[in-house]
Order: sequence, then structure tokens, then C-alpha cells
Amino acid sequence: MDKRVGLDSVAFTLNGAEVTTRPLPGERLSHSLRERLGARDVKVGCDAGDCGACTVLLDGEAVCACLTPTHQAEGCTVETLAGLRGTDKAAEALADSFAAHGAAQCGICTPGIIVSAVALLRKDTQLTEAKVQDALGGVLCRCTGYRKIIDAVLAAGAPHPVPKGDGHVGQPIQRLDGGGKLDGTELFGDDVAPTDALLVRVIRSPHHRARFDLGDLHGWAEATPGIVTVLTADDIPGTQTFGVIPAFADQPVFAVSETRFKGEAVAAIVGSAAAMQLLDEATLPITWTELPAALTISDALSQVAAEVHPDRAGNVMCRGFVACGDSEAALQSADVTVEGSFTTAFVEHAYIEPEAGFAQMVGNRLELHACTQAPVMDQEALADILGMPTDAIRIVPTGIGGGFGSKLDLSVQPYIALAALKTGQPVRLTYSRTESMQSTTKRHPAQITARIGATKDGRLQGMTFHGQFNTGAYASWGPTVANRVPVHASGPYQIADYRAEAKGIHTHCVPSGAFRGFGVPQSAVAQESLFDELADKLGLDRLEFRILNALDNGTPTVCGQVFDSGVGIRACLEALLPAWAEALTLTTSWNQVHETQRRGVGVAGGWYGCGNTSLPNPSTIKCGLRADGTLVLHQGAVDIGQGSNTVITQIFATALGVPVEQVTLVGADTDVTPDAGKTSASRQTFVSGNAARLSAEALRADILARVNADKTAELRLDGNVIEIRDAAKTHRLALADLPADAEGYVLRAEETYDPPTVPLDANGQGQPYAQFGYAAHLAVVEVDMELGTVKPIRIVAAHDVGHAINPVLVEGQVQGGIAQGLGMALMEEYLPGRTDNLHDYLIPTIGDIPPIDTLIIEEPDAHGPFGAKGLGEHVLIPTAPALLNAIRHASGVQITELPATPARVRAKLRERADG
Amino acid sequence: MYSFDIARPSSVADAASALGQEEAQALGGGQTLIPTLKQRLASPSVLVSLSGIAEIKGVCKMDDGRLSIGGGTNHATVAAEAGAHYPALADLANNIGDPAVRSRGTIGGSLANNDPSACYPAAALASAAEIVTNTRSIAADDYFKGLFETALEEGEIITEVRMAVPEKAAYAKFEQPASRFGLVAVFVAKHADSVRVAVTGASEEGVYRWSEAEAALSANFSADALSGLTVSGDGMISDLHGTGEYRAHLVTVMTKRAVEAAG
Ligand SMILES: Cc1cc2nc3c(=O)[nH]c(=O)nc-3n(C[C@H](O)[C@H](O)[C@H](O)COP(=O)(O)OP(=O)(O)OC[C@H]3O[C@@H](n4cnc5c(N)ncnc54)[C@H](O)[C@@H]3O)c2cc1C
Ligand code: FES
Ligand code: FES
Repeated sequence: MDKRVGLDSVAFTLNGAEVTTRPLPGERLSHSLRERLGARDVKVGCDAGDCGACTVLLDGEAVCACLTPTHQAEGCTVETLAGLRGTDKAAEALADSFAAHGAAQCGICTPGIIVSAVALLRKDTQLTEAKVQDALGGVLCRCTGYRKIIDAVLAAGAPHPVPKGDGHVGQPIQRLDGGGKLDGTELFGDDVAPTDALLVRVIRSPHHRARFDLGDLHGWAEATPGIVTVLTADDIPGTQTFGVIPAFADQPVFAVSETRFKGEAVAAIVGSAAAMQLLDEATLPITWTELPAALTISDALSQVAAEVHPDRAGNVMCRGFVACGDSEAALQSADVTVEGSFTTAFVEHAYIEPEAGFAQMVGNRLELHACTQAPVMDQEALADILGMPTDAIRIVPTGIGGGFGSKLDLSVQPYIALAALKTGQPVRLTYSRTESMQSTTKRHPAQITARIGATKDGRLQGMTFHGQFNTGAYASWGPTVANRVPVHASGPYQIADYRAEAKGIHTHCVPSGAFRGFGVPQSAVAQESLFDELADKLGLDRLEFRILNALDNGTPTVCGQVFDSGVGIRACLEALLPAWAEALTLTTSWNQVHETQRRGVGVAGGWYGCGNTSLPNPSTIKCGLRADGTLVLHQGAVDIGQGSNTVITQIFATALGVPVEQVTLVGADTDVTPDAGKTSASRQTFVSGNAARLSAEALRADILARVNADKTAELRLDGNVIEIRDAAKTHRLALADLPADAEGYVLRAEETYDPPTVPLDANGQGQPYAQFGYAAHLAVVEVDMELGTVKPIRIVAAHDVGHAINPVLVEGQVQGGIAQGLGMALMEEYLPGRTDNLHDYLIPTIGDIPPIDTLIIEEPDAHGPFGAKGLGEHVLIPTAPALLNAIRHASGVQITELPATPARVRAKLRERADG
Repeated sequence: MYSFDIARPSSVADAASALGQEEAQALGGGQTLIPTLKQRLASPSVLVSLSGIAEIKGVCKMDDGRLSIGGGTNHATVAAEAGAHYPALADLANNIGDPAVRSRGTIGGSLANNDPSACYPAAALASAAEIVTNTRSIAADDYFKGLFETALEEGEIITEVRMAVPEKAAYAKFEQPASRFGLVAVFVAKHADSVRVAVTGASEEGVYRWSEAEAALSANFSADALSGLTVSGDGMISDLHGTGEYRAHLVTVMTKRAVEAAG
């Protein structure tokens, strides 16, 4: 008969062990596994079947644990990554192959990916790329661009010899922090809280703009079982507002009386896990009065628009400006000019790990564990909000499941910190996917108008650029975007007469902030699209036109900055020449026999200044040797998957002269690592890498001085003795004989590097960055002229990285960046309140990324460690314009509104057909 | 939140009696229902899990030549087992979502849910299916009643779906980049006595038969026969991904492509 189970227990086999648990009816298997059975290697990215991070094997079949009711697992076998590792041959082979290919970057998707691949390999060993794409089609990865994943699955079981050698600069060693990503032991923001922690739920505005009244929230809390307390603006001991740029700090922790965007926090509820699982927000006494909202730039600039901030007239947040020569006169006298207007959309970072963390009081100090790109900035911001001294706050970054800029800003931190402070208990908060998308920063939508001229022999002659950026309700990194864009909007080309202005405009939207490229990917769309039009008008080959105008050593940028060495754009563009010729030929012959599916080739260049724009930007790295010979590197640059743990260690080991394997890494923790600055602006390899180099050099100098050895001496760390060999003799330094300091170090060094820059004057002239990195991408696409769909066929990416510290990590960054650029170009459009999930907001899946060839160019930089340059943002700057230019070449239509969705492409094609 | 019970019957009879309770709801693979529970869109007091009922699973050929598919059969099983008899259907099943969705989601759940862009409703209409429940049999033509609406009564369980196997058939789905759901898809089936063209993902009324195309293809089963036909954007779904006009256009292109694929 009807077997009613209600709150009965469910029994199944989990990773070989019999387990019994008592889930709520309808509870998801992912929740039971993580919270009741301790299987935190099962990740949750969306709770809606969209991301596949929760994939487990149920009786051998890959399923989304978040869509499987735990009760349906009764009597079944459940396997997760942690259980498969060590017992399953396929899982072992995959893990080896993933390590060798660098197929796990941040690692948050890796459990779901490997589990899905195990299901495939168990059934089928004759793999093809198409089979891998189908089997992994439901698992999203935002870091890798999938190509390394495909390669790794196809090569599972093949021998993967670990590269031999000292791991020094230039060697493609495996990530030093990779192991935990491949066996499920890496702990991310939601994985570290104790099971009895209280939960926080942030209550958010359901309207773009609203007045509200919290009602008797405290009375409600007292009357509701399991609720411990509520938090509102009244609970903030320190400053009410925060912001990453002090002069613009404007975002309230909790809105007071009026909200400025949909999803803005007004209060937070703190309660036991069981009570919070049953919390019904509809029972809260809060009342809302919706107010008219300005969501677009034109709404916000209209006469009748409300001022988002009373002290920012006309909703203009700030303005950036660069001018040199006389742009108007130059355009007047140009032989040809082109002009165009372009718009781009809000783009969501869509890391697979939503923001998460936990906080607790340890004595009088607050200890906070969360996924973050900027631990010291978090510490300083919390000190202000909590009214506590900075050293009373310890930030321990957890593993970070993707950041891309958005995890530079505060998210969960103030709420868990305030709750821990108020309740004295450990508290935990993990954003839901919707909450993450509604409330954390986005890439700025841009409206750009640009005009560019050239002489008939193809030389650029004059450019004007006007960009408006929807910065949302609060400043976040908007000022950085406004300042960066005019510096970069020329692209890496020689333009003597130039005028560029960028403005940040406030709207009632979620704040726009930092996202790989800080506005430069948007400006590159306008400039590089117009370059194609110019080249066509001039009858010049589009790539040759760019090469002709490329910046060189000794030629000034639009800021008047002149580099004597390291300007690598010409080399990048020239590296594309063979692929360009081949792609043009293949496309022509394809199009001779295909009417509906037309192919085209596009190219675009890009550049990016590493580090802060004309602002101090130091990193400090510490190292020490213990009496027993342990060599410790205190590396505080947060590794968000890009590989700074590995790269900085390689630089350090090379500069010191010992093998990488002898270095013990101590990762970011504000109590034990000095400030290595934020992981943004492609600065970690360059700036923190230099600090690591200086620190190694100081330690080395100290060692050599102690034995009076020659500068060129070779070091060998042999147990607790350092052997120092120079031309004269071999010295031995016994570490055990040296006195140890409070931290146990007998030798130590701590050095800081701050890149040399010169402030910009009123016309934006100066030296904004100590180094630029350069890139050029070639894209081949196929446009379905009936449907409007665009299928990328191939991408070739040339990147000048100065010196590739680790070529495998370089490729990983390039491919991952391209996937994000492709998303921005073809599919990604965040609409506040309408696309707050990963099925309406589309990001590239494994089937969307074509093969990518990476060409590494090394034009050494004068300042970079071993000549290296930053790379993290350069990787997606040329992608979108290269794709748009390929669409234009294939179909004849210029897409000026991003993303180029099938509907938009088709509409343009029809417009043209209708004349 | 919701508070409800869960029942795990092992026969259709038990399931039917469990579903007779106040506010009871069937749970198939949960691929659609579980996320909606969290969002409180649906809040039943009893969930009746059908996954333990062996008698409603499996695919077999019937004596009259039709294909019988148990209502609790998952998409992966249809993809694997329908191929020998009805390749276009196996192909459709094999292109639903991703492997995880295919190993849990069921044909009964898909037809009961009648999502405007779901795949099976098009196959059912084009295959002149009979939707068999624990109490009766419903012709596909009478079954679909608009978006998320069907002829099913409260507590009725889809136990079996019987499909006529066409001479030629193909399902052409317009797949957006990165999305595993199709925007517009068309199932074209040429039966001995008729041609059926079922369109999903386009109309505000849900899945429907495009009668003009059926007439044109009955006279001449080739893509050329469709060239004069146009579809109006009125009454078509307009959303983030495309206007009604665009969807109307897709209906014509996907129908042609389905006919071409059917050969
Ligand atoms: C990522 C993702 C991608 C997807 N892509 C596609 C796609 O491309 N094409 C497509 O067609 N679908 C797609 N789906 C939907 C998928 O096919 C679902 O599995 C299906 O629609 C519902 O089946 P279910 O068995 O999971 O039903 P459930 O979610 O369990 O139930 C859905 C509804 O049907 C009812 N129900 C379930 N079984 C029965 C029964 N036997 N009799 C009566 N009522 C019943 C339930 O009460 C509920 O109202 C996708 C889903 C996801 C998560
Ligand atoms: S968490 Fe299950 S699919 Fe995203
Ligand atoms: S490595 Fe895949 S999401 Fe980060």
C-alpha cells in the first residue's frame, strides 16, 4: 500500500558506505549530501539544473543532485568525486589528465565535470570530441573555455609524465595548488562553515526603486521560532556605507527608507539552519511602495529623471578624459572617415560559485572566511563598518570559485560580520544564484559614439570617442572604468590627434563594477569595428591596415607615454598573418558552395595597462627560512584560478635559485601574509611577481653576504644546510646554528614593489601604467543567413606576455578569456529582474567554444619580473570585436548592438534585404 | 516554506490512491517540479513519487505497429530503445537537455507539464499519439489545452503514450547558443494517410498543428511545397530571446529543415 514516509529516513549507499538520513520531503539530494552527510565535494552553483556543479552518479548515471529528491535515492548507489577518487580507474585517469592539461582553474566546476566524464568513460572508451561535448553539455565552466577540459577527457588514460626540472620561469609545471581541486578537498566559500553555524538571509528590494517600511521586524523575529535576531541599518556600529574607492564610497550596507536597485539589501534575518529552511519571506512585516525608476542611460539623463544621488547632479557620477593633438582638425583633413554608435549590455560574471562565507568571533577578534579577490580591502572596509580596529579583523580567503572582478567588492562579508558580532555565534551565508545575480556587480553597459579618420595611404588621422557607461545605483569601480577607457579607446595604434571622454551614469540598476577589462572590451568593440569599415573604404586588407598603424617602441601613446621596449602589438598582429591568409582562402571556397551558411573571418587587436591607472599599487611578499631548512613563501596574492600561487612561486624560486618543489607556500590570510594587493587589473604576475622577485633577491643577498660568496654563486638547499658554490669555493651555511625570530625564521626577507607611474594631467597626458600587454585575435564564424545564428568555427589568439612564466597557465587564461569575450559578443545580456538565473542568462557551454590556437609572443617588458607582463584581462579584449568583424565579413551586416543574438542578426539581415 | 509528505508507491493503483488525497501531486523525474517547489510556485501537501513503479517504464512495439512508451520512461531510455522503431523520436529524446536531464526526466512528466518549448508535445501531436492514463485514453489532438494546460484531471497519471510510427519523420529544433531548451521546434511526420506538422515553442497557445503546411505537404512532401507559406507573428510568444515575428519566421525555416531531414 501507499508507503507514506514523511519524515522517515532514507537509506542509500554513498561512496561505498551505507548511510541513513532524514531529509525534509522534497529536499534535494545536493542539500542532504552536503549538509546532512558531509559530502561537501558536491558543489551547488544554481539549485536549478542549469550549471551541473552538483552532478553525482545515481546508480551509475550522471544526475543533477539539485534536481533529485533525496527520497528517490532510497536503496540506490550514490557516488561523488571524493568517493570516486582512489577507487575508480576512470576517475584516476581523468584527474591525472586534468592536472597535466591545466583543465581545472578555480576548480569549482571540476567535481561535476569529472563525475560526468566518469559516467561517459564507463560506458564508452572510443571517445570523440562530440561525445565529450554531449556528455559534459550540462556542466558549466566559466574559467577554462572548455578546450582544456575536452583535451583532458580525450587524453584520459594516456601517460602524462610530470615535467622534470626545477620549475623555474618558463617551464609549464602543473599548478602547485591543483590537487585539492581534483579530489574534492579544496574548500570554497560555502564549504568551511561549521555545521551548527547560524544562517543569515538578506532581505532585498523586490522593486528597482521603492520606499519601504520595515514594520515591526523585531516583533516578527521574536514571534518566529528559531529566529535569533534581525539586522538593519540600526545595527551598524561604524560607517553605514562602503565602496572600493574611498572618495566614492556610497553603497549602504542596508538601504535606509528607499532602495535604489532591485535586489538591494534592507535587512537580514539570522536564525538556526532548520528555521531558515522553513523561513517564508512573505510573513515579514515589510511594506513596499514602488517608485519610478530610471534603468537606462537615456532615462537617467532625461530632464524628469530622479537623482539617484542628490550630490551627483544629472546622474553623472564622474568623467574621464584624454586628448592629444587636434582631433577635429585631423578628421577634417582626413581622406576618409567613418563614424558609428555601439551599445553593449550588462554582463554578469557568472562564476559558478555564488558568494559565500562564514564569520565568527575569536575572543575579541572577528574571523571571516569567504571567497574574495581582495582580503586586505575587505578587512579595511569591515573595520569601518564594524567600527573595529583593522587588526581586530582577520580575513582568511577560502578557495574562490571564480571572481573575474566581482569578488573585489564586498558581498556577504558585512552581513556575516555584523551577525557574528551581534550574536557571538558562528554565522554563515551563501547567496542563491538569483541573489548573486541581482545584487553583485556587472560589466557596464556602454553607449559609444566614435569617429575615426585615415589618409588615403592608410594612416590613421584623428579619432574622437564619446562613451557613456551605465554604472548602476552605486559607484563601485565605475570611476576606474571612466578613467581607463579614454586611455585605451585608441587601441594599441598610433593616433596623434585624439579626444576621448567617458562618463559613468547612475541608474536604478545593480551596480556595475570591475569585470575583466574595466570598460576596455566595450571600447574595443567600437574602435575595432570602425577599423574594419575604414580598411574596407580604403580598399586595404584589414589586418595589413592594423599592422600599418600599430604602436611601436618609441612612438607615443595617446597619453604621450613612450616605451623604449616591450611594445608587442605589431608582433601579435604579424603572428596572425599565416592563419589570416589561410582562413580567407578557406572561407572564400566555402562560400562558393554554401548559400545559407556563410563564413567570414575577423581580426581585432587590443591592449591593456597592468595595475592601477596612475595610482600607487604596491604588493608586499615575505619569505623565510626555518632552522630545519623549510623555505616558506608568504604569498598573499589571492589565486582565483588564474594561477598566481604557481606563477609567483616560480618567479620566487628562480630569483632565489632553488627548485620550486623546495618552496612551501603559505596562502593569503591577513594574519600571516603581508598585503599583496587585490587580484585585479592583471597586476599579480607583474606587481606581486616583482615583489616576490625582490624578496627572493634580498634573501639571496643575505645568504651570500653571510659567507662572503660571489653574486653569481649557486645555492643548494640541502636539508638544514645551504650550500653556496661560487668560482672560489663551496660554502656551507648551517641554518640550525642561526637564531630564530618569533615566527621561527632564521633568515627572512620582505619586499615591496610599486610600479612606476606618472599622474595624468587635465588632458590625460602622463604615464598611466608602467607596462601594457598586447593581443590580437582572429575569428572565423559561420552565419546561418536564414536563422541569424552565429557559429564560431576557429579562433587564433596571439598574446604578448613579455615572458611566459608558465606557458600552460598562459594558454588557460587565453582560452578562458576568449570564452567570456565570446559570451559578451554573442549571447550574454543581463536584464535586471528578468535574467536572474542561468537559464535565461546564457553563458557559453562546452559546445559553444571552437578550437583555439594560442600564439605566445614574448617582447620583454622593462619592468616586469623576468620581462613578464600581465595577461588576465587582455585575453578577452579583442575577442568580441574579432567575432563581430567576422560576422560582418560573412554576412555583410555590421552588428552595433551587443550581444549579437540570432534574433538581432536576423533583424539586421532583413533590414538589409528590405533595403 | 512548504510542508508536505512524500509517498513512494510501487504500483499505479497505489499511486492513484495516494494521489486521491487533498493537494497531492505526482513526482516524475523532478526535473521541472523540484525547482518550482523551492520557488513556491507549486505547493502540494503530498508528493507521490512515480519512480518506483516498474509497470509504467519501458518502450515496446505494439501489435498494431504503434510504439508504446511507459509514462515513467526516462528520456535516455527512449533515446536508446525507440531507435530501432522510430528513429526521429529517439533522436528527439537524445537531444533533450543534457545527460543528467535525460537520465531523470520522463515522457509523462514532460507531457503533463506541457511547457511551451518542450519537445515531446510536438512528437505526440505529430505522431497522432494516444495518451493513456490510469482512467482513460486521450487523443493527442484533444490533450494539449494551452501553455502548461492539458486535459489531465487532478490526480490522473500518464501511464503510457502510444505513438503511430510515420513513414518519414524528423524533428528540427532551433537551438539558441548555450541554451539546452529549443526556441522553436517542428516535428514533421508523413503517415500513410496524412502529414502532421507540430510546432512547439512558438505560439502563445502552446504546441499546435500547422494545418496549411500539412495541406501543402500532403500534396507534395518536399520543402519546395512550403515556399509560398508564411506565418503571422500575431499570437506568437515574444520574449527576451525573440519577438513573435522572429518566431513566426523560425516556424517556416524549421519546418522546411524538418522536411529536408525527413527525406
Ligand atoms: C537543464 C534542463 C534542460 C531541459 N531541456 C529540455 C529540452 O530540451 N526539451 C524538453 O522537452 N525538456 C527539457 N527539459 C525538461 C525535462 O525534459 C523534464 O524532465 C520534463 O519536462 C519533466 O519531466 P519529469 O519527469 O522530470 O517531471 P517532474 O518534474 O517530476 O514533473 C513535472 C510535472 O508533471 C507531473 N507528472 C510527472 N509525471 C507524471 C505522470 N506520469 N503523470 C501525470 N503527471 C505527471 C508532475 O506532477 C509535475 O506537475 C529540461 C530540463 C532541464 C532541467
Ligand atoms: S547546482 Fe545543480 S545544476 Fe546547478
Ligand atoms: S575551473 Fe571551471 S568554473 Fe572555474
